[in-house]
Amino acid sequence: MNRSIPRLLVALLAAGALSAAPAPAQAQSLLFDYVGFDYEFPDLNGAVFGDIGDGYQGVGEVPALFGPLVANPATYQYTYYFDGLTASLRQTVGPFIIIDYSGPGTLTIYEDLILGGTAADYGTNPPNGVAPPTFVDGTAILVGKLTNFRFLYNTTSNTGSFEADFEAIGGTQLGNFPLNQRLGWTFAGTTGNSTTIPTGYDHQVDGQTFLNPPTATRPGTWGGLKARYR
Amino acid sequence: MRARWILLTAALLVGTVATPATSGPVIDWDPAYFYEPGATFSNSVPLSEMKIVGIISAFGPPLAFLDATDLSKDYTFYIYGLISNGTTTIGPPATQFYVTTYTGGTIEIYEGTPRDAVFDPNPPNPNVPSTFVNGTLLLSGTVSNFFTQTNNFTPFMTGNSEGNIAWTGGSLIGHVGGAANPCPALFTGGMTWLPSVNIAGYLFRHDGKIDHECPTPTQSSTWGRMKSLYR
Repeated sequence: MNRSIPRLLVALLAAGALSAAPAPAQAQSLLFDYVGFDYEFPDLNGAVFGDIGDGYQGVGEVPALFGPLVANPATYQYTYYFDGLTASLRQTVGPFIIIDYSGPGTLTIYEDLILGGTAADYGTNPPNGVAPPTFVDGTAILVGKLTNFRFLYNTTSNTGSFEADFEAIGGTQLGNFPLNQRLGWTFAGTTGNSTTIPTGYDHQVDGQTFLNPPTATRPGTWGGLKARYR
Repeated sequence: MRARWILLTAALLVGTVATPATSGPVIDWDPAYFYEPGATFSNSVPLSEMKIVGIISAFGPPLAFLDATDLSKDYTFYIYGLISNGTTTIGPPATQFYVTTYTGGTIEIYEGTPRDAVFDPNPPNPNVPSTFVNGTLLLSGTVSNFFTQTNNFTPFMTGNSEGNIAWTGGSLIGHVGGAANPCPALFTGGMTWLPSVNIAGYLFRHDGKIDHECPTPTQSSTWGRMKSLYR
């Protein structure tokens, strides 16, 4: 008896340790990669980027898409457009600015035929006759909601980054996303130093969107459910 | 007569000012990983060396003839010799930014067969950087003004990095301006140290590209030719 108690204790402690150990984090999966340019519209104060009330938008290409999205880059061009973001708070920390945007914003991916479709064209001083129109033609395959959008920018190096929560909420391929796997996040690096930035755009943008692992579910029975709520 | 000369001067200036092309990146990758012994997102040890390995996912002009989706090959890059100048911390404890600058650096871009590049954990290791530097050296160059920027308050632990590239060699040097007069290039993009998208032993996951910043070619001319053009 005396010998079995310590054994039982050890077994219980081991079980406790196992149950208390954090579950291994599931990797987030890359959903799509995007490259383009951003601009402000409306731009209430052209001299200040991210001034309160300024709208923030971007257009560009989506060179890589991953499951559950289905893509055919040999036949279609994929483009993006984000909008619906308004600068609501602007803070300065040394040479950095921190801009928070109200929204929600929307990030939409479009699929358009390469042959017979309209090639994406940035033009100058957006919005203009070709941007965003040549980026939003075709089929909207994915509509994502952007919340908690925050832009950080170093005014000395003229570079920065943004990030936001992402939720798949629409588009023709929304059905590819399980109901418990529509949440994720997006981020991008931005630079004002590239000489490839078309006139009237603010920065070049290179970003990615990740999908979170599926939300965990627990198997149960009707009996168990009824017992919980009695 | 005076107005005519003003017009001529303006036309000549327009003709000789180098205007940048507005195209996509010459090289896009997905992803690249940074590693540096002893470094964290908020602190880099002065004089330590940072290295970067990446798998190229797309090419644009003037390298658009390369097919990064060819499953028989991999296109990779390796940056080494980035020597840390240490990290500067900016801002109050709740909103701190960390800027690390680097001196020097060399970039090499390879085409290899088979497709074997792999981001094994805890580099350097038998596969990193070796699987990123096998094959044909397409381009090599020097890196300057390289820096990383991070912070301690964004939920997805993001930041960015950037640096300038001067191409110096490789079998495709002729496509980026030639060895005698290579076009400048810009390494840029965003990065994150969020554990769920990172690999053990690497500092940052990077999503970025290289921009080809070659000015549009100009044609030399003379006043005589210009005058005859507008007579």
